[in-house]
Amino acid sequence: MTDNLLNFTSLNKKQLVELDRTYGWSLSALELAEVQRQFGETGRQPSRGELETIAQTWSEHCKHKTFSGPVRFKSGGKVKRYKNLFKETIVKATRKLNKKWCLSVFTDNAGIVEFGKNGKWGLAFKAETHNHPCAVEPYGGAETGVGGVVRDILGVGLGAKPVLNTDNFCFGYLDSKTKLPKNSHSPERIMRGVVEGVRDYGNRMGIPTASGGLYFDDGYLLNPLVYVGCAGLIPVDKIAKKVIPGDLIVSIGGRTGRDGIHGATFSSANIDEDTSASAVQIGHAVNEKKTLDVLMRARDLGLYNAVTDCGAGGFSSAIGELGSETGARVRLENAQLKDTHIQPWEIWVSESQERMILSVPGKKLKKLEVILKAESCEYCVLGTFPGDGRLLVTHGAEKVVDLPMSFLHGGVPNFEKAAVRRKVKISDGSPVSPAKTYCGILKDMLAHPNVCSRHSVITQYDHEVQGGTVIKPLQGKYGDGPGDAAVIWPQAATLDLNDFSGFAVTHGFNPAAGRIDPYQMALHTVDEAVRNLLCVGADISRTAILDNFCAASPRDPEVMGDLVLAAEGCHDAAMAYGAPFISGKDSFYNQAKDAEGNEYPIPISLLISATAPVEDIRKAITMNFKEAGNPVYLAGVNRRGLGGSVYGDMMVAGNNFISPLAMKEAVRLYLAVSKAISAGCVIAAHDVSQGGLAVTLAEMAFSGGLGAEIELAGAAREKGLGPLELLFGESPARLVLEVTKGKETEFLKLVKGLPVNEIGYVNEEPVLDVKDGEARLFTENINALKTCWKRELL
Amino acid sequence: MIIEIWTKEKYAGNEEAAFMARLAHAGLKVKTARLSRLYRVDADFSKAEFSKIASELLTDNITERCSLSPGKAGLKNAYRAEVWLKDSVSDVVGESVKSAITDVLGREPGAVRFGHAYYVPCDSELKLRRAVSKTLVNEVVNKFKIGKC
Amino acid sequence: MKPKAIILRGTGTNCDIETFNSFKYVGAEPELVHINQLLSGAKKVLDYSIMAFPGGFSYGDDISAGKIYAVKMSRLSADFGAFIKDKRPVLGICNGFQILVKTGFLPENKAGAQVSTLYTNDCGHFLAKWIKLKINKKSPCIFTKGLPDEIELPIAHGEGKFIIEDKKVMAELVARELHAMTYEENPNGSMLDIAGITNSSGTCFGLMPHPERNFFAWQHPDRPAAAREAAAAGFQFFKNAVDYAG
Repeated sequence: MTDNLLNFTSLNKKQLVELDRTYGWSLSALELAEVQRQFGETGRQPSRGELETIAQTWSEHCKHKTFSGPVRFKSGGKVKRYKNLFKETIVKATRKLNKKWCLSVFTDNAGIVEFGKNGKWGLAFKAETHNHPCAVEPYGGAETGVGGVVRDILGVGLGAKPVLNTDNFCFGYLDSKTKLPKNSHSPERIMRGVVEGVRDYGNRMGIPTASGGLYFDDGYLLNPLVYVGCAGLIPVDKIAKKVIPGDLIVSIGGRTGRDGIHGATFSSANIDEDTSASAVQIGHAVNEKKTLDVLMRARDLGLYNAVTDCGAGGFSSAIGELGSETGARVRLENAQLKDTHIQPWEIWVSESQERMILSVPGKKLKKLEVILKAESCEYCVLGTFPGDGRLLVTHGAEKVVDLPMSFLHGGVPNFEKAAVRRKVKISDGSPVSPAKTYCGILKDMLAHPNVCSRHSVITQYDHEVQGGTVIKPLQGKYGDGPGDAAVIWPQAATLDLNDFSGFAVTHGFNPAAGRIDPYQMALHTVDEAVRNLLCVGADISRTAILDNFCAASPRDPEVMGDLVLAAEGCHDAAMAYGAPFISGKDSFYNQAKDAEGNEYPIPISLLISATAPVEDIRKAITMNFKEAGNPVYLAGVNRRGLGGSVYGDMMVAGNNFISPLAMKEAVRLYLAVSKAISAGCVIAAHDVSQGGLAVTLAEMAFSGGLGAEIELAGAAREKGLGPLELLFGESPARLVLEVTKGKETEFLKLVKGLPVNEIGYVNEEPVLDVKDGEARLFTENINALKTCWKRELL
Repeated sequence: MIIEIWTKEKYAGNEEAAFMARLAHAGLKVKTARLSRLYRVDADFSKAEFSKIASELLTDNITERCSLSPGKAGLKNAYRAEVWLKDSVSDVVGESVKSAITDVLGREPGAVRFGHAYYVPCDSELKLRRAVSKTLVNEVVNKFKIGKC
Repeated sequence: MKPKAIILRGTGTNCDIETFNSFKYVGAEPELVHINQLLSGAKKVLDYSIMAFPGGFSYGDDISAGKIYAVKMSRLSADFGAFIKDKRPVLGICNGFQILVKTGFLPENKAGAQVSTLYTNDCGHFLAKWIKLKINKKSPCIFTKGLPDEIELPIAHGEGKFIIEDKKVMAELVARELHAMTYEENPNGSMLDIAGITNSSGTCFGLMPHPERNFFAWQHPDRPAAAREAAAAGFQFFKNAVDYAG
């Protein structure tokens, strides 16, 4: 095989593909041909290090070729072509909205929006996935996932201080009966490992993990999804970074080892049995904490001109990115190593964790060294950014890479992908009558893994470190109610205890809807995220969102069709809600072979992470009922359909219709409710989502230790809506509000003309009693309901 | 040198119960089990120096005891599973202990690795091997051996 | 003059900034100091009037929580000992309490040896939640003066089970009312539900719960917070230290 490497420019197609497979580059035939063509022009053979660098730089993980590539979408008889799907949907919405409070979008390691009142701070926010490593080694995969996204925040601008971590997981059902292929871990083991990994890394970093979600579906049995996010505060005058020719290349934090070879190409390939062991690492949170402590101090003293994290591709990507204009001169023999059995090209591309690259003016190195030593943080000076646009990497006398930067960052060849609309049969007739009582269904539903309490995960996270988690993931009288969003008061970053500015963070996620209608899924997901922000009293007119797509193989036109529809949905929802995307990431090839050898893909999965400012965190509200006698209102119209609902997962529903979201009406409603919350009229708010209205009411009641007398006759509803859909349907744009007694007149004035109707009152007696005119739907003790809900998942 | 750290029996109930629950989940039901932590310290220290780091650094003398001759659990008909991270995987605890040993002795050991031992009375090694691979180790990152003790 | 408070850091300390903010708010002049700065001689603990060990995972909590930090402190134990003997206020929160226990400064004993421990919680893992605590009004503890009988604070630890092996040591601790704070519902299996202990002068105090996380009313889970008085239960701990030192 070495011979083939030496004759690279004269290999035929088959030999190229063989070479690619041997070295695990995951380059396509088209890409290989392009590399061959370019080296053909230079008149010499590439070195191993050069080919590895190109494989990393051009990988799906680094370049996002699928989402940013051309697509031909066929729906019925119509064809629509995209040159760059991502730019023509997600980015387009952001450009059109052109919000002046967006400080940095899609260019840096994270998106940045304005934070607080005085224009001094920016809020950086980013989420990404770490799916394949978590399938192979759940604990280490989750740890390094958290570590990676935290480094994105440390590496945005000149470095932001992380103040919140988020985590969203998708697993197969813990009691799944599906036979697993050899080498697959059970969902129970994956979940335990992932939770412990996020816990041990996040807790040691001193960053509160305070917002997230947990979703079970057998579609994730072989390919769990692990979304990790981080938000941080950055002074606005530290957002711009620029490498100055002559700057030193300084690596700080962890050492480089063989443990990090081939992560980037790994995440672009399907998981199979011979997945290389070296692709998985165990995290070292303490090293990353030292790096954080050094960076924050050095940033404030202005000791470097630019910074970025070592993620996929290691030094090759980080130095390649920082030096894309200046070039870079790297001496690998200066690197701090974990082991001596490492090849020079391996040092160059190793993805060993917990490393950051700084661009340091020579005369400031001494001061930086003082801080590094004071914090016991290891570092090395790897070379310089010369300004000649050339990438020259050596190890002693050996030349590892010698290329113009333009070679790496020039046009990656891309080919048009075929996309078609998936055919799904929709039944929108009346639902099948259930064999159980409504109360029985509600109790089963409260215990459903996608509805029940998440306390056994949340309480393992230090979700209040930094003393700023003012609206907590667990809320209510007993500190165990399910919150809609977290609100962070970043006192540990601003050091200002008299500034009550904060921000809310939450998520939307609904792959069950995506199986039926990916376009509506995207709308519903954005809607859910905005509604969650509204429930804590955030200023939703300044919502900023992140998209994280996970999908199966893009070689499948139906998978691409799902993606196109969901991306179009993202665009339309962003425009309607005035909520720009500020950053995004995608992960493909989330499929594997099952025990019988058949392909087992995940459903299209779109996580929307959302943030909005909270002007005065002291006024933020929670979801539990607060006081007996207060009236309860339902905002929004109850609409038909059980498609994508938890009910549909539990029972034979006979209806899989998904109610289309009326976005304009929703926005009008939310802005009015937002005013009512700001005016202090609303004391509790909770969205209607998974499990429907019955679950929302039950959660508000038992989290407050109070009952409620509910009469739904006055609730706005679509014609033909039956009690089953009323209680358990998951039509969007609805929320339940508890209004402070004595402020009803003011409240009603603020929501005049909108579908906001009184549906009863909070009751001292611990019973939830729900009627619909003549029909008594159910009556149950709130503690009995809570017992069903409060399951130990771990 | 391998230093073994035991939780004193009267404090070990919780960790043993949690361990047995995990084994049961993986299909192996047992009534007793013992666990210990292992530190492999590669260094040319004297016996007295190893004793010092074992008892003064690695053991919490209130709840734990240590042994420089590992493998003695006092369980009848037990198998012993010893689990380590592979040498190619960074051992975070090992690194941290290495630097702490340097603080205590003023001399740096060559390498320190952190591992676990599990003592389980059961009728076949194979059953234990199966349960251990299902729940405790991941051969992507761990190496382990099982033997009669 | 504002009393100078040394907030001790090390690798992995992570509640240092909010502890700093809390001391500053009540009128101290806090300073974050890394243990490396003490070991190098760049800073001296005896130059300060208040000392705090904040929460976190010092040195990863490897071996056991607070152990490696305690080992690093041992070279400076004369200075720390003098600071405590001088009855200057010392507050150890969570990991800070674990450090004070592993160094042998708490519970106070003649040999200055570790006589108790904070072991793995009964549940076997890290646990973060709000809990109710009882304040021992008979305790000499200066930090808990003026607090109501019952307060709420969050806990966030994996190793908080307080154990004293020697019955005599425990009997003496109780007889002298040094158990300044106990859990109403024991979250970790601590002996006698102990959540925090002090020395006989009441000036050196370690506790597992986090007073800096219930310093202001809006850090408490109850909502809305705007109507309530700003200072919450945790505020008093810091205020007491500053009043005593000043």
